[in-house]
Amino acid sequence: MTIAPASLTEVAPTGGPGAVAFHRTRILHLPRSPKVIAGLVILGLFGVVAVIGRWAAPYSPNATDEKNWVRHVLVDGTGPGTAFPANYYPLPLPPSAAHWLGTTVFAQDALSQVLASTQATLFVGLLAAAIATVLSILFGVTAGYVGGGTDEGLSLVANVFLAIPGLPLLIVLADYVPSAGSSILLVAAIIAVTTWAYSARTLRAQTLSLRNRDFVEAARVSGESRLRIILVEVLPNLVPIVAASFLFTTLSAIGAYVAIAFLGLAGSPTSSPPGLWNWGEMLREGFANNAVRGGWWWWWAPPGIAVAMLGTGLALLNFGIDEFINPRLRAGGLSRKAARKAGISTSTRLGLTPVAHSIRNAPEPASKVDSANAAEPVLEIRGLCVDYGVGDEAVHAVMDCDLVLRRGQVLGLAGESGSGKTTLALSAIRLLRPPGVITAGQVLFHSRPISGDGPTGTIDLLAAGQQQLREVRWSEIAVVLQSALDSLNPVITIGAQFDDLLRVHRPHFSEAERWSRAGELLEMVGMNADRLRSYPHELSGGMRQRAMIAMAIALEPQVIILDEPTTALDVVTQREILEELIGLRDRIGFATLFITHDLSLLVELADEIAVMYAGRLMERAPAASLFHAPRLPYTHGLLHCFPPLHGARVSMEGIPGSPPDLRDLPSGCAFHPRCRWAMQQCREERPRLLPIDGSSREVACWLHRGDAVVPAELARPEPAAKGLVLAEAVKQAGDL
Amino acid sequence: MSAVLRRLAVYLLAAWVAITVSFLLPRVVPGNPVAGAVARASQSGNCNSQCVLAVEEQLGFDVHKSLWDQYVEYIGNLAHGNLGQSWSENAPVGSLILSYLPWTLLLLGISTIISFVTGTTIGTLVAWRRGSWIDWIMPGATFFQAIPYFFLALVLVLIFGQTGTMLRWLPSLFGYDIYTVTPGFNGPYITSVLAHAILPVATVVLASIAGFLVAMRNQVITTMDEDFVLMAAAKGLPTRTVIWYAARNALLPVVSNFTIAISLVVSGQILVEIVFNYPGIGYHLNDALGKLDYSLVQGIFVVITLIVLAANLLADVVYVLIDPRARQIA
Repeated sequence: MTIAPASLTEVAPTGGPGAVAFHRTRILHLPRSPKVIAGLVILGLFGVVAVIGRWAAPYSPNATDEKNWVRHVLVDGTGPGTAFPANYYPLPLPPSAAHWLGTTVFAQDALSQVLASTQATLFVGLLAAAIATVLSILFGVTAGYVGGGTDEGLSLVANVFLAIPGLPLLIVLADYVPSAGSSILLVAAIIAVTTWAYSARTLRAQTLSLRNRDFVEAARVSGESRLRIILVEVLPNLVPIVAASFLFTTLSAIGAYVAIAFLGLAGSPTSSPPGLWNWGEMLREGFANNAVRGGWWWWWAPPGIAVAMLGTGLALLNFGIDEFINPRLRAGGLSRKAARKAGISTSTRLGLTPVAHSIRNAPEPASKVDSANAAEPVLEIRGLCVDYGVGDEAVHAVMDCDLVLRRGQVLGLAGESGSGKTTLALSAIRLLRPPGVITAGQVLFHSRPISGDGPTGTIDLLAAGQQQLREVRWSEIAVVLQSALDSLNPVITIGAQFDDLLRVHRPHFSEAERWSRAGELLEMVGMNADRLRSYPHELSGGMRQRAMIAMAIALEPQVIILDEPTTALDVVTQREILEELIGLRDRIGFATLFITHDLSLLVELADEIAVMYAGRLMERAPAASLFHAPRLPYTHGLLHCFPPLHGARVSMEGIPGSPPDLRDLPSGCAFHPRCRWAMQQCREERPRLLPIDGSSREVACWLHRGDAVVPAELARPEPAAKGLVLAEAVKQAGDL
Repeated sequence: MSAVLRRLAVYLLAAWVAITVSFLLPRVVPGNPVAGAVARASQSGNCNSQCVLAVEEQLGFDVHKSLWDQYVEYIGNLAHGNLGQSWSENAPVGSLILSYLPWTLLLLGISTIISFVTGTTIGTLVAWRRGSWIDWIMPGATFFQAIPYFFLALVLVLIFGQTGTMLRWLPSLFGYDIYTVTPGFNGPYITSVLAHAILPVATVVLASIAGFLVAMRNQVITTMDEDFVLMAAAKGLPTRTVIWYAARNALLPVVSNFTIAISLVVSGQILVEIVFNYPGIGYHLNDALGKLDYSLVQGIFVVITLIVLAANLLADVVYVLIDPRARQIA
């Protein structure tokens, strides 16, 4: 029997995005998928049969009627006309109304045997799984929680048991223990001994990661006893894994029981002391009595199918648990029915975010701010709306966003986590993963390649197909994500990753040219070309991000999207890398969409800054104006929750409350519950992003409309000139 | 390489445990195993007086040596490759097993490779095209995963086997046609061996492929959520390269879980050999069980364990080769 792989899914042993998302209150919540329901129905049916099967069966499994329940075939050369008295041999009867599954060669009713066998088979499976589960919890949790030498020792025992093949060991054990056949308990115990180790290993890994979680740490610090911590804090969180391994072990145990019964080691109902009827025994009798050669499938096929059905039921349920443990396995998050209604294919394609068919062409943005430094736009996002999910469950993550990135400039996009910055940027280039769906808007890329042979002219990225996108990807629009370690393929060298890239986009390069170009690029970001031979894990965090940036500029793109490129780095490295970026920008002349939650970082870099809140753009202004004279209360709050890298102290006020739940946005202005200047109008009506009279900036705030009194904090004078030196800027901010 | 050495230590320990278990069991099991064994055997009419003597000797009955001395002797014999004498075949167990082994390794090797390669490939594609009709493979895979190997063998014999009753396309008994060809390096023999391997291999592949398929599918889906796969798409790499980035990384946990997979395949194959009367160690294990040839049973158990441990070690070495991070730690 082979079920292992359903539970083979690695459970990430430590934190990180792949880690199991445990909620202490939600121990095990099975997804209500057809798979789980089918699994439960199958198991329920078998459960019922196991309980009532013996009595519901039309006959006793041992009942035999040699006269009527077999066909009598005359042996050749006997009977009338020969010298010998008539001699008959029996043939089993095929299924009929009297015997739904036919009869056996021993003139017994096959259906009755299948029904009667269910109980013992299921019982041995469950009992063995229960024993194995208790063993694996004892071993796994102790090893994982106590650690040190105990862990080493117990893990060794588990690994040894895991390495010894189960069934052969079981065969030897069952063969030497003479009374095993008649004792169902003994059989179950022996099976348990050969199947517990896998679960123990999984549980150990999970306990190990739980041990270092905050809530367990807290319990330990507060002086709770070890046993209590294990029982109250650790075990409840292991429930999904214990459940999964229980199902898995049940299935293995049933498989093992059927197998040893097939070998005649589990005791037969006719031996003394008699064993119990079980499916393996039926298969053994059928096989041993030529039921395959005779074509009497009704005798041996039903018990085999029953094992497979039961196994399927257990495995389907296990799928549900796996999907709970590892949410990534859930079907893309798009409900099939709703997606079809919206005209979106549920077939998830990486790098091709679906666009709802009802998309309308966005009108020219109503508010066209004419900046003084109006460079030619390179990437224009118009009226972009992005949902997670479709239909009624859809969450609106980005709503009606207009952004213009101009050639060679840096556009900063700021906001708290969850404000939709990354969603906006990734969906604009169709890289947003499911269940993300673009529901409206236009993303115009005005291409004028800096080098290479990229396409020229305007491309609507939302209307583009796979091939068209591939032409602009990386060669014209590159992306750098927050964690370079995650962005680099861990199993191939940096050089090989450059090679993959250049081979596709610079097909005329020879291998040597590709290699030397890659080395050149690394040197451009201050790395040694030798690093091409390194694997990502051999580099420091800063070096990885440099390598990523080197990769981003490899094809001299017109646009680079930087999504919090320095957030994961220490302050010194952060600064070095930013300076590197500015230098490269000056050299190559790409435009940058820089996403961050740290506004103070942007003021040095950006030409223009846009601030996002709850999926909408709320303020947009030239960098210096926004920094020195914010008009939006939210921007003001953001500016006062990050200490500047250098310079005078600023009082940190922060923003009270937390970002809103996108599924349940406040009425009116989404920021009003956290705004200290909120007015009645803010609660009722949503402000639109509109220019403030006579300036090159926009804000979505009622304080700047009509007769509202603008608070002093939001009415600071515009800075005199653009491009203030950083020190000065910070000084001013501090003085205010 | 210390990671591999560490694993090697675990396998050596496992081998020792298996050997010791097979030594101790007949000697420490409560009751009188000889009497029980003889009773069972004479019931089936398989044990004559010669057999009784052999059983007594093999079970260490009436031997005037301490358990420890017997153990030392047993280990010493094993170290010299001496696995004892089989009374039913009247030959040394070691040479008997050597003659069974090629059949088992042939079957195991071919079917594991086919199963692993196709299973992981299909698993990758299923993960990649998730959400399309291909998802329907999953319930089917689940069903196949739950079918006992030997039951699948019976079904295949019924449908395709010459000893079955339906299509009678393929030979389904023995390792080669024992009536018409002579073993040796000759065409008819090799053809016959290959023809006789088709159904057993198909059985093991069909029964084990779903395991690799489901494991790989789940891993690829998990890996596809990683940034580097998204970045591969962002880089405009061709779809096959993007899939390769995901699959190459998803393969790592699948290989590291090979231990469980290979155990299951070996266990399943024992029973498949029985159904096909395929002359490997699984078939002879069953045979020896019936004849109460305990030396042979013990020997086969030890050898099966060693095969599984060797396969595990191989998987560990492969893992170190394909994961640069493991190479560094090693």
